[in-house]
Amino acid sequence: MRQVVLCLVLLSVLSFIVACAAPTPAAPAVQTQVVERTRVVEQTRVVEQTKVVEKVITATPAPKPGVDAFIFGAQGEPVCLDPAIITDGISSRVTRQIFEGLVKFDKDTFNVVPQLAEKWEVSADGKVWTFTLRKGAKFHDGTDFNADAVIKNFDYWQNNKNPLHAAQIKAGQTFEYFKNQFWGFDDASIFAKIEAVDPSTVRFTLKEPQGPFLNNLAMFMFVFWSPSALEKAGTNSCKQPVGTGAYKFVEWKANEQVTLEAYADYWDKPNVAKMKRVIIRNIPNNSARLLALSAGEIHAMEGLEPRDVDAVKGDKRLKLLLRPANTTGYVAFNYKVKEFQDPKVRQAFAIALNKQPIVDKLYGGTGVIAKEFQPPAMWGYNKDIQDHKFDTAVAKKLLADAGFPNGISEITFDGKKVPLDFWYMPVSRPYYPNPKDIGTAIAADWAKAGINVSLQTIDWATYLDKRKNGQLPLYMLGWTGDNGDPDNFVCYFFCLNAKDEPKPEEGFFADKEISDVLKKAAATIKVDDRAKLYQQAEKMIFDKTIRIFVANNQPPLAFLANVDGYIVNPTGSEYFNTVVVK
Amino acid sequence: MSQGRRKKSPPHLLARNKKMFRYLIRRLLTVIPVLLGVSILVFGFLRLIPGDPAQVMLGERATPENIARVREQLGLNKPVYEQYLIFIGNALRGDLGRSVLRQEPVMQEILRRFPATIELALSAILVAIVVGIPAGIISAVRRGSIFDAGSMLIALTGVSMPVFWLGLMLVFLFSVVLHLLPTGGRLGASANFSTLTNFLLLDSLLQANLDVFFQSLRHLILPALALGSIPMAIIARMTRSAMLEVLSQDYIRTAHAKGLRERTVVVRHALRNAWLPVVTVVGLQVGRLLSGAILTETVFSWPGIGRWLVDAIYARDYPIVQGVTLFIALIFVGVNLIVDLLYAWVDPRVKFD
Repeated sequence: MRQVVLCLVLLSVLSFIVACAAPTPAAPAVQTQVVERTRVVEQTRVVEQTKVVEKVITATPAPKPGVDAFIFGAQGEPVCLDPAIITDGISSRVTRQIFEGLVKFDKDTFNVVPQLAEKWEVSADGKVWTFTLRKGAKFHDGTDFNADAVIKNFDYWQNNKNPLHAAQIKAGQTFEYFKNQFWGFDDASIFAKIEAVDPSTVRFTLKEPQGPFLNNLAMFMFVFWSPSALEKAGTNSCKQPVGTGAYKFVEWKANEQVTLEAYADYWDKPNVAKMKRVIIRNIPNNSARLLALSAGEIHAMEGLEPRDVDAVKGDKRLKLLLRPANTTGYVAFNYKVKEFQDPKVRQAFAIALNKQPIVDKLYGGTGVIAKEFQPPAMWGYNKDIQDHKFDTAVAKKLLADAGFPNGISEITFDGKKVPLDFWYMPVSRPYYPNPKDIGTAIAADWAKAGINVSLQTIDWATYLDKRKNGQLPLYMLGWTGDNGDPDNFVCYFFCLNAKDEPKPEEGFFADKEISDVLKKAAATIKVDDRAKLYQQAEKMIFDKTIRIFVANNQPPLAFLANVDGYIVNPTGSEYFNTVVVK
Repeated sequence: MSQGRRKKSPPHLLARNKKMFRYLIRRLLTVIPVLLGVSILVFGFLRLIPGDPAQVMLGERATPENIARVREQLGLNKPVYEQYLIFIGNALRGDLGRSVLRQEPVMQEILRRFPATIELALSAILVAIVVGIPAGIISAVRRGSIFDAGSMLIALTGVSMPVFWLGLMLVFLFSVVLHLLPTGGRLGASANFSTLTNFLLLDSLLQANLDVFFQSLRHLILPALALGSIPMAIIARMTRSAMLEVLSQDYIRTAHAKGLRERTVVVRHALRNAWLPVVTVVGLQVGRLLSGAILTETVFSWPGIGRWLVDAIYARDYPIVQGVTLFIALIFVGVNLIVDLLYAWVDPRVKFD
């Protein structure tokens, strides 16, 4: 026994010493890390000092692997790498590099520009869209991209009888976004006909004109698989993505990382991937991810905590990019609450809220005050709306006028007298980076005006469940836009359902006037006409204080200082082909 | 020590072995109701807590009709008892179902992820034993010395320090400031190594790949230290108090009086009698390590089973939660059994009744 223990002690101590000590010749990977680190330091010096050094360094080729890859630290694990069935940002960050669609969002805007389509025409009634496809684009498996591929992909997404589609559904997958953006599957979908006019022309005939049609097509899920690869993959499509993008798929190590490799035959020669490989690592903890960045193990990261923003700004080895705002955090009223049916009460809640300090202190300097639902960068945004002026006295007066001279701390919810509960989310989302603190601040402001809420929360799944069933009387939530179209922001929430009934998940909001304006805007094609309608709707929502919009956030991304060429897009879908690690 | 006994009385030992075998069978039989109970509890509780997988999958985008459709696809609209019977029937055949979110077979995923957790837990317990037991012994022998005070202070700190915080501090010190060790993961991002068993240390040795062996060892050090900190402290304190108790016994005084060397007294006489409580504690810690691993795996981006389980609970991914809890229950029962058998090996006075 003694000998065994002794051996163990010796072995462990020895291992520790060997592993901790300076890199051994037997371990080249260890050397790589050391080399990488000194490079980082030298690069910083280069920027600050002379150009001579820069030449010396660029003349010295990167010695070992690790420098030829761009390593991104993600917040979690991709769900699946088949873009048609995913809905989350972590998966789509990977698929964006592998797949391409007819059109895409340009650089850091919501503007839709050609990708695999060279150009397009739309008929006067807005129902027939004809796309001319790019020639010479090839999928990673060597097959050509053409009209046939487009049609086969659309069939995979929308046709219940397509064997691939049916097999996915049977395996428990869903084509969530296709249904949401294009109304449904088969006969329910917006498409009357999709046809190949010739190998490089595709024509879509819609049943009704759809305002956001192009924006929908630019979303990350409507991108094309190599039809033969898709057929081969079948229900294993999540693990074997094959597209036309600048990077092709190499390997997905579950819970660790996804590795991609530059695609040599990429059609867009000037934009061929700058780095040999892209590695997207799964580092779930926000602090651990920032430490990995500080240690130089990853080159970029998302999910920076607001409290860490200043530290990144102050660190010369790091830099910060803000993604243009595409998120809005709001406070929603449940219209089953009798008191909230009075616009004066709702207005009092809005006026009693002091947004400025919340945005300044609790968003790490990356937030802006929201007056309306759409973020300022969207074309439906109404510049003329003047926000409520924060004034506790006015709020008190409004409450008194509404019959609450002593303030409000109880409500009538579904006919029952209950305490006024205010729900904040248990998880951080882009629009509310720290919901508990923000909720507490809101409650404190309200308390000054005599609005006494009791703060409540519950785990995320239950929170969403209660919200969906319309069980939360007053709650925080928000939205991150999908496709840069105002319809996706405003109508998603404030359009009544097809029968013009209120939806429980939107707190039984029931204003048909607003809903009608929004539905009209969705069926209009000309952007100028649509913009006017959305601006009108935003004004109506504001005047009636349907909801309180608190802030838009510009989610921060942190990088090592030697990373260049990363272009942030408000949709969060970003291409890595332009990124260089110097 | 058991050799000595064997020489003396084979017939006695034979009877003892027979008893032990019967005991083993009896214990193994009790595993069945335990696992059934665990499966029913977990299954029931999972469905009692509100929120469902469809809800989490769809997030803010969940509308009642979307949820209804997804629920139907996932078979969640069947009666709960029917779902349970399907689950247990499949589980008996080694099929734990498929993950709701990723559609992966749960059994296969458990087997793939579990080695990572085991590797971490074993390293942690090794660190804890190798440091904790000697520290406890020396503290007891040199009671009241600076070493005693120092190591017990460290042990107290070790018990009270949150693993999460300790992990982050270790990373900050060893990775960011000193650049000695990696911040997380099992291998460097650029490592190209295909595993056989997914025990990296073992695989790399089998394939004679020393580079990968040292790389994975370097990745193991910090998480093993973080995870091992609490068991290490507990083991040290337990060894110390067990040793103190034994050291005050008459026979130790006798041993001293006989003029035996200090080392012989401590190792041959005292330690042998102090083993029992120490083994118990080590056994209990192995169980605790599995739960501690959840935090450690999160801080160190360790692709093991703990983190996977937590993610699954939040996502209400029922098949994963059910499968993993059942699996962990099995491990717990197994470890307990081994500890009970170890008692007898360590202390011949223990009887199998």
